[in-house]
Amino acid sequence: MALAAMAGVMLMQFGLVYAQMEAVESRRSTELLQGEAELLAQMSPEHLEYVIRRRATDDLRLIINSAGLFDAGHALIAGDLHTWPKGLLADGKPHNIEIYPEEGAAYPLRLLAVTLPDHTILVLGRSFHLLAEQKFMLRHAMLVAAVPTFLFALFLGVALSHRALSRVKEMHEAIDRIMAGDIHERLPANRERDDLERLAGSVNRMLDRLEHLMDGMRAVGNDIAHDLRTPLSRVRAKLERAQSGERDPEQLEAAIGRAVDDLDQCLGIITALLRIAEIENSRRMAGFAQVRLRALMDDVFDLYEPIAEMEDKKLQALPSAAEGLVWGDRHLLIELLANLVDNAIKFTPEGGSIVLDVQQKDDAILLVVTDTGTGIAPEERQNVLSRFYRSDKSRHVPGSGLGLSLVCAIAHLHDASVKIESGPNGRGTCFSIAFPALVPA
Amino acid sequence: MSEDDTLPPFLEGRTVLLIEDDGRIAEEIVGELTGRGFNVHHEETGNAGLDAALRGEADVMVVDRLLPGCDGLSVIETMRQQGIRAPVLVLSALSAVDDRVTGLKAGGDDYLTKPFAMEELVARIEALLRRPDDTRNTRLRAGPLEMDLIERRVWRDGREIDLLPREFRLLEYLMRRPSQVLTRSMLLEDVWQYRFIPRTNLVDVHIGKLRRKVDAPGEEPLIQSIRGTGFQLRVSD
Repeated sequence: MALAAMAGVMLMQFGLVYAQMEAVESRRSTELLQGEAELLAQMSPEHLEYVIRRRATDDLRLIINSAGLFDAGHALIAGDLHTWPKGLLADGKPHNIEIYPEEGAAYPLRLLAVTLPDHTILVLGRSFHLLAEQKFMLRHAMLVAAVPTFLFALFLGVALSHRALSRVKEMHEAIDRIMAGDIHERLPANRERDDLERLAGSVNRMLDRLEHLMDGMRAVGNDIAHDLRTPLSRVRAKLERAQSGERDPEQLEAAIGRAVDDLDQCLGIITALLRIAEIENSRRMAGFAQVRLRALMDDVFDLYEPIAEMEDKKLQALPSAAEGLVWGDRHLLIELLANLVDNAIKFTPEGGSIVLDVQQKDDAILLVVTDTGTGIAPEERQNVLSRFYRSDKSRHVPGSGLGLSLVCAIAHLHDASVKIESGPNGRGTCFSIAFPALVPA
Repeated sequence: MSEDDTLPPFLEGRTVLLIEDDGRIAEEIVGELTGRGFNVHHEETGNAGLDAALRGEADVMVVDRLLPGCDGLSVIETMRQQGIRAPVLVLSALSAVDDRVTGLKAGGDDYLTKPFAMEELVARIEALLRRPDDTRNTRLRAGPLEMDLIERRVWRDGREIDLLPREFRLLEYLMRRPSQVLTRSMLLEDVWQYRFIPRTNLVDVHIGKLRRKVDAPGEEPLIQSIRGTGFQLRVSD
């Protein structure tokens, strides 16, 4: 295919050179004939006749191959053209005419005839042998050139494609290694100088991202394993002890009760994880409707107030709260706020306070939970939203460690953003969830 | 099994139709319910379950959402079209956001997500078998308690109890279901309309506050905790 295209290009090139050469030669011979005829016409008739007779030894012969001086009746006066060339017009323009000599084969000549003032006619002819020679040379050159050109092109093609193929092969091998489990492997991209390397660069960046995500998942997997193993080993130890030792029914019942509590904790973790996955995968918003965040806040306040009071913490729902009309799933939004409030109560020391508020800010509705608790260091704020993250100081607080991930998942489903800041005077924590406001129709 | 686990006499021998394809779960449920005095009929497939339901022997049904060959919900729908009114508890491994709603729309009366505690299942079956006292009466009575729903006032043996609105709502729910075991999640779902709440001791705190007002020192305690299960308003009729 490539070879055929190359041969075509070569032929076309030679064809053009050929045509160009012919045109140049034709123009040159016309100019020569006309120039010579003009020069000769200025001579006296006697001198001209002499010149024509002598032209056999003149250098004229090199340029003008044939010459003849004819009278008005086309009879030869002098020269080497024996007869008047058939069909020649004495119009001073070049004509290509076949000449039939007395002996030998016919040959073409470019002839030009001029009528002189004494009514004699000067005929000058130039043969095509120069052109023929040039054409022959060109054809020869083409044939001679074709073979090495083809060979060179072939060599170059093979070399280049071999290089490209070997790069593709390297990529295939790298991909095979990645698929075999070596996720740190990358495609050869060097400095991304061409398309192939840029593509490899893109694939590498994708692999970086995937590896990062996989690391995250692996960390989550490890955390799940840890968080489940602790209560499960406690259950095991308790049951084992109950089986081997104490037979007192009351103690046995207490041991079983504690084992059930530990198992409930495990189930709680699993349920929360499934719940997050379920919300994250949910693209259906069938349950969405208009929700008034203020009413929702009052409900959650109502549910949590007794427990805050019991733990000697002050839970407050600001009476100045905006109505906060948003588009969402009421049950999920309650879950979101309940998790935030639960979290705030957990991390607020006795005597502290938790304030709930709904604010309208431009075209956003903010649901704000502020506490006077331990606070979250700025560098930890992103981490607390990820699964199972607990800062060191919260290790002792019971819980699945999934509450805030759940908050994030629900907020995400509602196109809402989660922001963590310091509370007033730089103490405590302020969670604000910004929902797009719903304009009442 | 403690004395708390015995059924009230009127539930003894009532028939539960269980349609569940998972053999081990079914075995657990059958064992538990039989042990408590229920008469249990177990079917593994939707079609067999539907036939059993259409014979009309069941007082209450427990139907798994995902059955081989057909959806548990279509069994309920077909059965309802045929005029079977027995209450149905739908079991599901899914807890998808709107799954519960579709379950109830199809004709289910309650919905329970796996995994669940056996006490939860039994309490809900019991709740389905008792019709709550939904009378239009504006006065409710349960043992020594009397409640005026119009004036929002409550008395115990003539002593008026001062309740917050949320405490009033909780006590009304209890008084409509006297002597019935109510689990924490039943209370959350029915009194507060909440489903997923991070900690269930929230309910205990509310009950605790209510109990301190209802059961004055020296009075016989009416609001009882049932370990591992929930609460009960214990009154003798």
